[in-house]
Amino acid sequence: MPESTPIPVTVLTGYLGAGKTTLLNRILSENHGKKFAVVINEFGELGVDNDLVVDADEEVFEMNNGCICCTVRGDLIRIIGGLMKRKGDLDGIIIETTGLADPAPVAQTFFVDEDVKARTRLDAIVTVVDAKNLPARLADSREAEEQIAFADIVLLNKMDLVSPEEAAEVERRIRAINPQVEIRRSTKSDVPIDAVIGRDAFNLARILEREPEFLSGDDDHEHDGEIQSLSFEAARPIDPEKFNAWISGLLAQKGQDLLRTKGILHYSGEDRRFAFQAVHMMADGDFVGSWREGDPRRSKIVFIGRDLNRPQLRRGFESCQVEDGAAA
Amino acid sequence: MSEAQDADFLLGSRGVSRDLGAWVVGVAWERGGGGACGFGLGDGTVRVARPAATAEDWASAAAHGGGACLSLCADARGGFLSGGDDGRLVRVTAEAGVDEIARPARSRWVEHVAAHESGLRAAAVGKALHLYDANGAALKVLAHPSSVGGVAFDAKGKRVAASHYNGASLWFVGSKEDKPRVLEWKGSHAGIAVSPDGTHVVTAMQENALHGWRLADGQHMRMSGYPGKTRSLSFTARGRWLATSGADSVVIWPFHGGGPMGKAPTELAGGDGVFCTAVACHPQHEVVAAGFGDGLVLLAEIASGKVIPVAPPGHGGVSALAWNAAGSHLAFGTETGFAGVVDLSRR
Repeated sequence: MPESTPIPVTVLTGYLGAGKTTLLNRILSENHGKKFAVVINEFGELGVDNDLVVDADEEVFEMNNGCICCTVRGDLIRIIGGLMKRKGDLDGIIIETTGLADPAPVAQTFFVDEDVKARTRLDAIVTVVDAKNLPARLADSREAEEQIAFADIVLLNKMDLVSPEEAAEVERRIRAINPQVEIRRSTKSDVPIDAVIGRDAFNLARILEREPEFLSGDDDHEHDGEIQSLSFEAARPIDPEKFNAWISGLLAQKGQDLLRTKGILHYSGEDRRFAFQAVHMMADGDFVGSWREGDPRRSKIVFIGRDLNRPQLRRGFESCQVEDGAAA
Repeated sequence: MSEAQDADFLLGSRGVSRDLGAWVVGVAWERGGGGACGFGLGDGTVRVARPAATAEDWASAAAHGGGACLSLCADARGGFLSGGDDGRLVRVTAEAGVDEIARPARSRWVEHVAAHESGLRAAAVGKALHLYDANGAALKVLAHPSSVGGVAFDAKGKRVAASHYNGASLWFVGSKEDKPRVLEWKGSHAGIAVSPDGTHVVTAMQENALHGWRLADGQHMRMSGYPGKTRSLSFTARGRWLATSGADSVVIWPFHGGGPMGKAPTELAGGDGVFCTAVACHPQHEVVAAGFGDGLVLLAEIASGKVIPVAPPGHGGVSALAWNAAGSHLAFGTETGFAGVVDLSRR
């Protein structure tokens, strides 16, 4: 029997009242002919008939490896394990988190557990945001800011309640936290299902196919909150050994403050691009397609986090380049 | 696989096998003299193989309609106990009849079941462990700080152990005051086993390691170095050895002569790079049955290291493995739904 393809998992986050449950109901009631398993938390209110709904307690536990940011969702490991044994293929799994949830343990679960890793893939972290109330939420809640920092897609909801100027300002605030995020505007969470499901937006390789310019672009967003985003470029090829030594040291030391790290690297002597990403301390990397003919082979790295020291990070990344004049 | 090669495996000469079409979640032999074997499946059915039945005659019981069986064991007094993602705890008879024992909580999974010949049954639903008597009457509900990852009775049925986050809880079933002995160790603990003499508790952790406690003095035992997650734990009949999955060999820890502390485990049947996924020790002899990620099933004698092939690779990772009480028959099932029963009795 052939190995089955990994099941895509969509993580739905968003502050209380942003429109998460409306979106979920919309996805599930749309006549899409797909079968989803939906993992909801016990406070959820959901009326669904056709799909498989699983109640979960958000149980976060610390890995026993001495690292306090290595937290994972134990309930998801168990639930995904159970779902995999069911007869009949699922088209996807949707995980709804509570409004106050930190998305990191959910994302980290997909790095840590070998069974989850083997049988599923994180499709996207979708954060639903209330366009009217976001500025207030960002002012009073650490979680609201983190949910945007972690997002691959932000659904800017309740657009009927804001003026074009307010909408532009909210988008600016979102970009200041997470410049690469895909923003979709909506009213009453009315987006087509394929705008949020099956996007493969967590996967750097796929994003690059769709948007070759991902990770490039300006870095001059002001940051008004605690969380900021910094990106750096390197013109000379990267020495993999130097990079590994630097990034593992950095993540070990600073991982708690680094929410997400994404990089596209030109390794010395390698025609394929290397895509690197991390959630806090947990990192993953793989070669993806070749550089496009004629495009400059420049390495890029983006950090989203707190208390980031720009000169130090810049020097660190630049020092991973091969010596000037060495063979590329 | 050619016939000549098939003949090298006992399944070909002494077994029956069948493709059941869904993940084999658990397999068990019923207690008492009946001799039936039950397979709990990911399609919500329990298939029952009766002695001398051909594989085509295995009966099917719709235990968890439309859902999946999540855990299966031999029931206290014959038949099988099955927990499902439909929230039901059911008993399946050797004739494939289904009786609902309980539905502990709506829209919650019954993730782990265990039973003891004294008549006790246990079902884990989230953080709660529900206990029932032989007639299905609810005895008590034991609360844990987090979801239960595994359940086991001790050999006498006096205590029940449940693993969870940051350790395990050991409860006296008959105690009036329900206060567990909490065995603490940071991390997530899934599978759990109690040694046959009741002196040790061992859990399988998230971190590719086992953790054990010697109950006499609370001494911790860390058994690490596995390249994969350990899921399956099995003590030999007298508790001298603990066989485990999670490496590309069968890893066996000595629990005699001072215990496993500071000792290296014995590794059997290793070397081909495929992880062991299930183990089951023989009910009398120091022989372990082991299943691997490619579908290979074999027997290994602990003292000599001698290996006897039982079932060839090629039918999906082995997910369930069980001996009957006499130790004459071995049953196994795989993730892709292949199942077999092998007669190992003297001829």
